Amino acid sequence: MSANVSGVKHTRGFDVIKPLSVSVLIAIMLPLVLLPLASIFVFGTSNGLTSFWNALVAPEAIFALKLSFATSFWAMIFNVIFGLFAAYVLSRYAFWGRNAIIVMISIPTAIPTAVAGFALLLLWGPYGLLGRYLPPDMQIMFTPYAIILANIFVTFPLAFGVIMPVLETMSRSLEEASATMGASRWQTFWYVTLPSLRGAIVGGALLTFARAVGEFGSTILVSGNLAGRTQTAPLYIFSKFNEGQVEAANAVAVVLALFSFVIFSVLFFARDWLEAD
Amino acid sequence: MFEINGGAAVHVISLSKHFGGAAVLDNINFEVAQGEIVVLLGASGSGKTTILRIIAGLEIPDTGRILLHGKEVTELPARERGTGVIFQSYALFPKMTVAKNIGYGLRLRGRSRKDIRKKIDELIELVHLEEHRDKYPAQLSGGQQQRVAIARALAYEPEVLLFDEPFGALDAQIRTRLRKEIRELLKKINVPSIFITHDQEEALELADRIAVLNKGMIEQIATPFDVYMHPETEYVATFLGAANIIPGYIDHRCFRCEDISIDLDDEMRFSNGQAASLVVRPEDVFLRKPENLIQKYQPLTDGIVDEVSFVGAFERVSVRLAFIHDKRMIVTRPKTETAAFPLTIGQKVPVGVVRFRVLPDNNREPVQRSSSAAKR
Repeated sequence: MSANVSGVKHTRGFDVIKPLSVSVLIAIMLPLVLLPLASIFVFGTSNGLTSFWNALVAPEAIFALKLSFATSFWAMIFNVIFGLFAAYVLSRYAFWGRNAIIVMISIPTAIPTAVAGFALLLLWGPYGLLGRYLPPDMQIMFTPYAIILANIFVTFPLAFGVIMPVLETMSRSLEEASATMGASRWQTFWYVTLPSLRGAIVGGALLTFARAVGEFGSTILVSGNLAGRTQTAPLYIFSKFNEGQVEAANAVAVVLALFSFVIFSVLFFARDWLEAD
Repeated sequence: MFEINGGAAVHVISLSKHFGGAAVLDNINFEVAQGEIVVLLGASGSGKTTILRIIAGLEIPDTGRILLHGKEVTELPARERGTGVIFQSYALFPKMTVAKNIGYGLRLRGRSRKDIRKKIDELIELVHLEEHRDKYPAQLSGGQQQRVAIARALAYEPEVLLFDEPFGALDAQIRTRLRKEIRELLKKINVPSIFITHDQEEALELADRIAVLNKGMIEQIATPFDVYMHPETEYVATFLGAANIIPGYIDHRCFRCEDISIDLDDEMRFSNGQAASLVVRPEDVFLRKPENLIQKYQPLTDGIVDEVSFVGAFERVSVRLAFIHDKRMIVTRPKTETAAFPLTIGQKVPVGVVRFRVLPDNNREPVQRSSSAAKR
């Protein structure tokens, strides 16, 4: 034994488990997630970038992408405002049936999207419970409005789910302090509560938007899947693939995949930035 | 608007509050003069926080009224009262800088940008936060956050400052220093202030007057000196500082317990046979025959030294009293005393007191004696 204790350098044997476990992790992810995504890009660009571009700027493809983004946008606006309102009411007031309302808001995520679309048809369709009373020129189903309705339904609890926990853990004394300093409820909400929710609102909005852009099950039922009129991007991919136009489907798929990649990067990095200071 | 005792800045008049059947506050009355610091001292659950929240308008009393500078505010919502509350956790707005936090109250009042800036500069200088002006609360230490909270409340010239356990979140050393700083500051700006705390040392150091709360009632409200030296109830005596309590009764202008008998001063008024307690602070017990004592000495009984422990600046002795079954008295002795008259365990000592209080004990029945009747 050496007397020189301070100078001893600890050298443990090479830990095999570390590289091994990381390799296993990647090996599992490869066929399940990474390769399918990669193949979209491989196939999409296999005939050269020119043909990829031509497939992408086809009027129907452009329309489908625009429709997807527009309908998702309005669903996002609605659900963020609603989610903020619902989270505020439910976190600030205790009342009978509060938990029941929270469960009801959350239910839409648990319902299969095809069922959601079907349910909307049964309510608003031309022979639906309410739809039958609408005059023919005001029918909602098989129009872009139906797609917005379906998007709202399937993404209903997402923004709420992000905002609610932040509001619930927010110290009540912040709002009380604001009140004792002379602020009205609205001023307190605007100057004190809302700034602390910035991160949650942006996060909830992006989540809602990303989820709505990819919606398929409910959209195909309520939209009628009319090319150039009510065909969203996922429906376009499905239809073109069925028609054997793999390249056309592929081009739009690449855009959607890139889009979700961007959204999640923003979610990942921007939240820290928004939560900061 | 009518006025009561014109001078006082805050009037709290017969405040009562129940939470689900249990009384939290029971007929609370007190006043705070302009520039005065009143500390509400009590254990958790004594109702002190509720009083503060009612004054601020964050809680509604069942009965009672609040007057601020003679103006009835009982029915006004928090935002129209103009109180400055310093919350336990300071409640600084996390997304606003120090300067914005301080300016918030003025911004709500629609002051001009120039005025707000001037006031912020003034207050930042007052609380010595010049180099932290553009920092966010999360970047400040606890003591700095507290100063921001005070400056923020002072900005709109509040009717009264309300401090909710403001030192709770700070460590012991900083606490002592900040107490001094804040007291000096409050005396400088002359704003009436109400503190709540459960820390007796804090109360003694900060207060002009202390209100001792117990189970929703004020047991005593007086200067720190009076509350400590002349406690009016047993609870006050034991809550502020340590006290030895010996239960007994009144017998012809004497306090009696077993073989102990102490003559009462004329000023103490009791009825014959009334249950009472002898209250003695540990530092007022004397364990040797007096030779040249300046103070008035009253011998009590004999005792056996049970335990001697050294506690920093003084020595603490536990003495078993001879004639009272299993009753121990805690005695503290200064260094001069311990050096001159060392004690050993098992030693027999005479026990006497140089200062004491006899307080009526309303929880016990009066002792039935032949010499009856009350003479009040």
